[in-house]
Amino acid sequence: MACCGAREIKNHHVVIVGTGFPAMSANIAKHTHAPDAILMQESGVVDARPKRPALSVGDPCLNPGAAMVGNLLDIMGMFLQAGWVDVGFLSGSQVDKFGNINTTAIGDYEHPKTRLPGSGGANPIGSLAKKTLIIALHDKRRLAERVDFITTPGYIDGNGARERWGLPANTGPECIITNKAILRFDKTTGEACLESYHPGHSIDEIRENTPWDLKILENVHETEPPTERELEVIRKILDPHRMISIYEKRGYV
Amino acid sequence: MTKVMTTKEAISQFVNDNDFLFIGGYVCRPPFAAIHEIIRQGKKNLTITRSNAADDFDMLIGAGLVRRFIGTFLSLGVYGLGRCFRRSIEKGIPHKIEVEEYTNLSLPMMLMAGSFGMPFVPVRDMVGTDLMNIKSFMGENKFKLIDSPFDGKPTLLVPALNPDVAIIHVQQADKFGNAQMWGIGGDCKVGANAAKKVIVSCERIVDRDVIGKDPSRTIVPSFKVVAVVEEPFGAHPGYTPGFYDTDFGFGYQYQQASNTVEGFHAFLKEWVYDIPDRKAYTQHYIQKFGYGPFKKLEAAFDYSFPVSYAY
Repeated sequence: MACCGAREIKNHHVVIVGTGFPAMSANIAKHTHAPDAILMQESGVVDARPKRPALSVGDPCLNPGAAMVGNLLDIMGMFLQAGWVDVGFLSGSQVDKFGNINTTAIGDYEHPKTRLPGSGGANPIGSLAKKTLIIALHDKRRLAERVDFITTPGYIDGNGARERWGLPANTGPECIITNKAILRFDKTTGEACLESYHPGHSIDEIRENTPWDLKILENVHETEPPTERELEVIRKILDPHRMISIYEKRGYV
Repeated sequence: MTKVMTTKEAISQFVNDNDFLFIGGYVCRPPFAAIHEIIRQGKKNLTITRSNAADDFDMLIGAGLVRRFIGTFLSLGVYGLGRCFRRSIEKGIPHKIEVEEYTNLSLPMMLMAGSFGMPFVPVRDMVGTDLMNIKSFMGENKFKLIDSPFDGKPTLLVPALNPDVAIIHVQQADKFGNAQMWGIGGDCKVGANAAKKVIVSCERIVDRDVIGKDPSRTIVPSFKVVAVVEEPFGAHPGYTPGFYDTDFGFGYQYQQASNTVEGFHAFLKEWVYDIPDRKAYTQHYIQKFGYGPFKKLEAAFDYSFPVSYAY
């Protein structure tokens, strides 16, 4: 999953990352094909050089060595809202076929089954980054026909809804990267469609675990497995202590 | 005029029941010494705000002191969802708080508007989502969607916020209140300057001349500050750049304790109610966990090249 995310990042991209898989993806890209990509954290950090994996966007290890340490409005206002951010990474407890994300509440908002943290930086990133990459586990609980609560906009109701609401042109989710597949958005309808299945997974299995009638792209293929170089970067540079196992235990691979 | 006093004096003089508080800190520099004092003094019916709230807000909610939360996010970071926050909203324990939901763009912009004396500010997020469909205690004043008078496009306006009191923790301040900070800023500067009064908690009080050697680091000038409190280790279990690291082990203990109501109250008794001040808190920490783990949190030193403002 982390390598799939990395491949969406181009050299010279400005990327807002969080922690965990998104940070891993962005750092793989930086160590392979996109050395000039600039990573930033919403808390105010630009081009950090952490000596350990950051456990939060405010982690102390992001301070020393960074190109800039400012504040929330520098990143969310001056860079994101002003249109300088190319890629935003998001994950969510619930993601729907239009790429809308719920991080507010499962069930009814007033009487939730589970109260989640809330938007944080997710809504502005999903609203304003030129392309948003969404990371989610592939099952019928995490993926939904319609999320219980739209915290962060994907294509909303599809078919140009973002533009009608006045969100900047040419922004929105690019793909959903799951532990089984990559679902790419059709920019016209706003719907996520199957682009590739990871090695060991089949189209049928993926359709079965997707709660909407999943459209299959014509050029559907197997996802390219991690390259030698990508694995080396993960194992030797980014995560020698296998902190990724925290996420593997939760079902991410 | 010196404004130096104890945290106990600062909270009792300047924080009242029903106040609207901005509490600074973004993993970095949460003013935990002051938060524990607010809990000890049992200030009630508070409205609290900050972008990305964490264990400090969770604790105030669990202690039953919060009526309203103008927020964007509340979690225990790597330790998952805020247990007290969840219990309050899902089960009404100790009571259900009212939440007005914004984002990490709109909320700091509202504080910025407050700090600049602007009545409201346009923002480009939130549109098209359910954040527009839920309105709590701010009602119709949560936001206004208008057609821009300039180009006719839909534009979201959000109101300025002016908290009664801001409480922040910084590295150093002088006795007059000139407060200096470095490292990740979060919304500390706009939040502090939007407030009517500022309580500055700091790792060390320095001479006015020390402030003048590097005045670009000052985020709040003295005339906005009503109290200055020296509280070394005052942000623990959060961190202060150049002083000490995040205490992940302690964060885990808070998560484990706050899993149950009983555990949470036992935690408050041990670390807040039975402790008179931060000095005693630090002593209790060393007695319980040993000097080694305490010392291990201490920051390494790696000084920058000295700056000069001379002409």
